[in-house]
Amino acid sequence: MTDSLLQVQNIDVFYHDFHALWGVSIDVEKAQVVSIIGANGAGKSTLLNTIAGVYCPSNGTIEFCGKKINGLTPYQAVAEGISLVPEGRRVFPRLTVLENLEMGSYLPKARKKKDEILKKVYELFPILSERKNQLASTLSGGEQQMLAIGRALMSEPKLILFDEISLGLAPLVIKHIYQRVKQINMEGITVLLVEQDIQRSLKAAHKVYIMQSGRIKLSGKPGELSPEDIRKAYFGI
Amino acid sequence: MISILSELKVPIVNGLLLGGLYGIIGIGMSMIFGIVRLINLAHGDFVILASYFSLVTMSLIPISPLLTLIIVIPAMCLLGFIIQYFLLNRTLGKGMNPPLLIAFGISIILQNLLLLIFTPDARTLLSSLSVKTIPIGSFINLPTIYVVDFIAAIITVAFLSRFFNRTYMGKAIRAASDDDGAAQLMGINTKTIYAIAMAISAGTAAIAGVLVGMTFTFYPHTGPEYLIIAFGVVIVGGLGSLIGTFLGGLILGLAQILGAHFLGPGFQLLSGYLILLIVMTFKPTGLFSKG
Amino acid sequence: MGFLRAYRIYGIILIILLLASLPFWASRYWILVALLFSLNLGLSQMWNLLAGYSGLVSLGQQAFIGLGGYTLAVFSIYYGFPISLSILIGGIISVLFALLISAPIFRMRGVYFAIGTWTVAEVLRIIFSNWKYVGYGMGLFVKPAYKLSFNTIYYTALFTGIASVAIVYFILRSKLGLGLMAIRDEETASETLGVDIFKCKLSCFLISAFITGIVAGILYLHNIFIQPYSAFGIDWTVRLVFITIIGGIGTIEGPIIGSFIYVFLHQWLSEYPSVSLLILGIIAIAVILSAPRGIMGTIQERLGFEILSPRRK
Repeated sequence: MTDSLLQVQNIDVFYHDFHALWGVSIDVEKAQVVSIIGANGAGKSTLLNTIAGVYCPSNGTIEFCGKKINGLTPYQAVAEGISLVPEGRRVFPRLTVLENLEMGSYLPKARKKKDEILKKVYELFPILSERKNQLASTLSGGEQQMLAIGRALMSEPKLILFDEISLGLAPLVIKHIYQRVKQINMEGITVLLVEQDIQRSLKAAHKVYIMQSGRIKLSGKPGELSPEDIRKAYFGI
Repeated sequence: MISILSELKVPIVNGLLLGGLYGIIGIGMSMIFGIVRLINLAHGDFVILASYFSLVTMSLIPISPLLTLIIVIPAMCLLGFIIQYFLLNRTLGKGMNPPLLIAFGISIILQNLLLLIFTPDARTLLSSLSVKTIPIGSFINLPTIYVVDFIAAIITVAFLSRFFNRTYMGKAIRAASDDDGAAQLMGINTKTIYAIAMAISAGTAAIAGVLVGMTFTFYPHTGPEYLIIAFGVVIVGGLGSLIGTFLGGLILGLAQILGAHFLGPGFQLLSGYLILLIVMTFKPTGLFSKG
Repeated sequence: MGFLRAYRIYGIILIILLLASLPFWASRYWILVALLFSLNLGLSQMWNLLAGYSGLVSLGQQAFIGLGGYTLAVFSIYYGFPISLSILIGGIISVLFALLISAPIFRMRGVYFAIGTWTVAEVLRIIFSNWKYVGYGMGLFVKPAYKLSFNTIYYTALFTGIASVAIVYFILRSKLGLGLMAIRDEETASETLGVDIFKCKLSCFLISAFITGIVAGILYLHNIFIQPYSAFGIDWTVRLVFITIIGGIGTIEGPIIGSFIYVFLHQWLSEYPSVSLLILGIIAIAVILSAPRGIMGTIQERLGFEILSPRRK
């Protein structure tokens, strides 16, 4: 029926003794932009990290392209076609911009097409080409974010996860980056993003999930949800 | 002035050449410290183990010590890989002490194993190179083996530099040491990467071991001596810097030989130790560190 | 609870009486085992105080062992001082030396501290090996010790071993001990609460130097012969590290258990010293990987059982 790329069904995730996600289910269709919004601590990051393989759900399933992927390690998840742009960017500070990007294409199949993909990334973010031999630690916040995104694109992912890419950046820079996100999606890459900025999310997404205290409270197309509903779900009132 | 210089020319040149050997000894330790933030307390014993490997190989196949590297390097690499993958990787994220103590344990095990197998007798890797000298005009006679050590050091540094800066694996190792989690997100299996890094470190210990065996005599318990030298080289030269480590080796070698020259042979090690203590007290990141 | 507590105290007193009575009924072999046990106990309690409670992993305790031993030798041989005084001076000289190196050494953290202390010991080793006054590398015979009976040495060692446990126990129950516990749990936080970390650690460093120096003096009463290579050798620390790790680092009972295991292993394999160290190394690695808190630490964790608890109840 629908072109479901990613199906998360009823997962629970624990951090040591802390129950972070409670029976969470989401559905992401191919070539969609899906966004997950919620306040700090709502569990959005945990969800993304679990999909990317950093955490393991204690029950439930995660299916990607029809294949069960819960329990995979991060480096196995990348091989399946899932790329995460982690919270805080986490570029490799002592490597150059170019080396950071090259690390993105570490996987054998991506390595072969490295130059081709690199060209596309430079087109998307020309500043990276300008600074390609600079150490990543010398870049500004916005540039590092672009580098982190570019790096995630280097593995030619089918699904790209964005964890709070607007954190700490100036509004103009955020706008610029979100335009690029749209472009990435136009190329056919499915996007799942986590954002605290509600307006930004609603503008960018085809579908929205609202989380609170580790649970999905509300979901739907941005146009169909009333501000009242959203506010209720976000704050849990 | 010139007479002082001419009196010192032998110790200075010898010190620098010896420093090359010290540089190789230190590089393996510098690598592991820069990458996994682990001080491999067994590094000195790896070096001596390699010397014994070479000894055994030579007794089975009559070849020169340098040729035994063909067998000794892979053997040591394998050992390094296994130790990291099965023992040290299990202590990742558990704090600073467990890896240190396990390395210490491995050091003791190696020393006593060697003692049991080979007895405490002094050994050496005999080769014609050990006694020859190369005359440079009438200026000075360079001990051939020291020159070999020095050249080997330069080749090793160049090779490693190329590896870390030009290859995917080398860059992956650097990336994993910057941010383990982020590296995994790139598709890098960091556990394997760390094991490969240790394998390379053990490989450099192999080179160091064969050269040490050719240059000096060795016993099962000389490991710790070379550990302190390695540590000295790394600290003096600076953490995480290949060239810095090499320079650190030169400084330490120079300090030792000059110390012996002025104070007597019993004080050779002492001058090295004092320099190490001074640098550790005042500039622990090393003289040439990247900060 | 009070019931168990009474049992513990009776048990401890019983064991002490048992050990004290050994010379009356046990063979020389077993008294020797108890002697070595007591000496290793004293040394490992001090290492544990540093590494297990103060977070100072020192690989240089042998510096104080050598100093204590040589002071005994020099003062009793050359100056004819009574042995007990010589041993005491050994402790004092160890403390003074510790104080001397504390300024540079305490600037070093973590593994630097470890290697730094080791290097200092090696420096001492070289100096003593090249010093005519103490007989160069050939060492000295502590002749005045010949006139002491074996039992005297045994009782001195036993007393010191027990005293070292008591000292650690009382330190941990004191204000210093509270500071140490705070540091152990959360170093930076404890600093904001006014715990003078430097002073705490320095105190422990000095105390351990003092006791180690004294135990060393007694040790060399037994060994008679002292030479720099072994007196200042890393082998001492190797034993202490293994004893403490296997027994349980950061527990008072740990070194007791560890010392017992070590001495037993050592005597059992006395024909093959390398084998005993080898086995010790393998056990230590196995312990670190599977039960990092050692035998006692794991017992405490699993059963909540402590024999000598420093906690105020």
